[in-house]
Amino acid sequence: MRFLDLGSAVYLCLFLAAASVCAAFMGDKLSSSLMSHPAALAAVLLLMHGLLFSGIRSLKRKRLDSALLHLGVACILAGWVIGQFAIRRATPEHPIKGSMALVDGDISDRLFAGSTLTEEIGRVPFSVRLLRFSVERYGDTEQAANQMPIRAYCSRVEIREPGKEPRVEEIRVNQPAYVAGYHIYQMSWGETKDYDGRPVTYTVLTLIRDPGLHIVYAGYGILMLGVVVFMLRLFRRECPAPQTV
Amino acid sequence: MDIKTTPQGLLIYLTMTAFLLAASLLRTRQKALGHGFWFAGFVAATASLIYRGFHTGHPPMQNLFEFFLCMAAMLWPLSKLSRWQAGTNTDFQDALLGLFILFPAGFVFGEEPRRLPPALQSPLFIPHVGSYVAGYIMLARAALMALPLFSKKCVDDPGLVQRADRGSRQTAAIGFVLVTSGLLLGAIWGKICWSNYWQWDPKEMWSLATWLVYAAYFHYRLKNGTRSPRILAAFLMLGLLFIVLTLTWINLSRLFPGVHNYAS
Repeated sequence: MRFLDLGSAVYLCLFLAAASVCAAFMGDKLSSSLMSHPAALAAVLLLMHGLLFSGIRSLKRKRLDSALLHLGVACILAGWVIGQFAIRRATPEHPIKGSMALVDGDISDRLFAGSTLTEEIGRVPFSVRLLRFSVERYGDTEQAANQMPIRAYCSRVEIREPGKEPRVEEIRVNQPAYVAGYHIYQMSWGETKDYDGRPVTYTVLTLIRDPGLHIVYAGYGILMLGVVVFMLRLFRRECPAPQTV
Repeated sequence: MDIKTTPQGLLIYLTMTAFLLAASLLRTRQKALGHGFWFAGFVAATASLIYRGFHTGHPPMQNLFEFFLCMAAMLWPLSKLSRWQAGTNTDFQDALLGLFILFPAGFVFGEEPRRLPPALQSPLFIPHVGSYVAGYIMLARAALMALPLFSKKCVDDPGLVQRADRGSRQTAAIGFVLVTSGLLLGAIWGKICWSNYWQWDPKEMWSLATWLVYAAYFHYRLKNGTRSPRILAAFLMLGLLFIVLTLTWINLSRLFPGVHNYAS
């Protein structure tokens, strides 16, 4: 593995930086769909193996900072790849990601996709009942209420899992619920009319399962530790040697 | 051009005046007075930041205007931290840098306060943005400290190369730690708020590209040492260019829509 040396690492980093800039120009939709292509997945796996190799080599050479940095990034990539494989292997009985639109009182365990949430993806192994969806706004006065910026969205739901007591959760932006491997997010909301033509507010909850998440988070920890050790080592090496008289 | 006549604007102009006086006096014999103004600029910048925080009712890190105010307030402590840690004296450059940082806040961006949207209400708001503010300052300072590496004097003065390389590399290392922590905290926040730790959002991609440029710099320095000082300085300049682009073009241009659109 002579080509995995520092010189090629410089070029690799610069190449990846250029690729990131290209991805920025392409926008999030196109980049993420390109990155879920099998060829992109294979490239990431290759990169992960290179990092793994460098990390283990550094470990053998007792370069702790380098080992932690490379293994940390490899771990993050591994977690991401696991997540991508899980998306490919998702079944209607065990879906990976989908949304449900609910009005107060609705109960559902079915996930949908698409911009209008019409394409059914599958069922989750628990049910969500919307007790109440509320939109809180800044300001106290009632009359100006609809013009004020929004302070919070909150979906109060009751979750029923088979074999467990039903429980009530409040799902807000920045405060997802966690049920049976799924995170439940407050993703969107809107207004529509019910069968009698009365306006009703609905909430859109997105449910996501990511089996690689813990590995990604472990990678974050290792990488963070790695940069700190790297900085401290660099400081120590650079200290002027004590003068001997 | 947006000249401000509010207390906020006056505090910004006061800070800029203090930084300008500090930078000028630090180049004369009136060093003590220069240091005094440098510190006064820090006090004024902090006052302006605190005023902003009370005025808007949330941590002043929501948009670019507030981001630049934060940077100006953090400059003096970070400069002194470097001095204590590496023994490098960069007061003159840092005061000038402060002037550059505050220019857009003083003359370009508007100061209309906005309420914090639900997505930004998180305990990770201050650590994520704060890491980036401090990290970008350190990386900008590293680029300034590497400037002597471009000069012709480097050829016959190995001491100059060694000092400039050491200072810039240590500063870049601190910046790298801060930027890494900003990136990772942002990813964790993304999982909590947007349902995924990586959104392929243009601003994320530019931040990753910046991170990779510094990764390339550290690999290059490890391989080649100080044999070609100009390339080392060029790496740090490229990093600074990426930071400036991320802060300005990526935030403000319609070319880069994405989930990170709180700043504009």
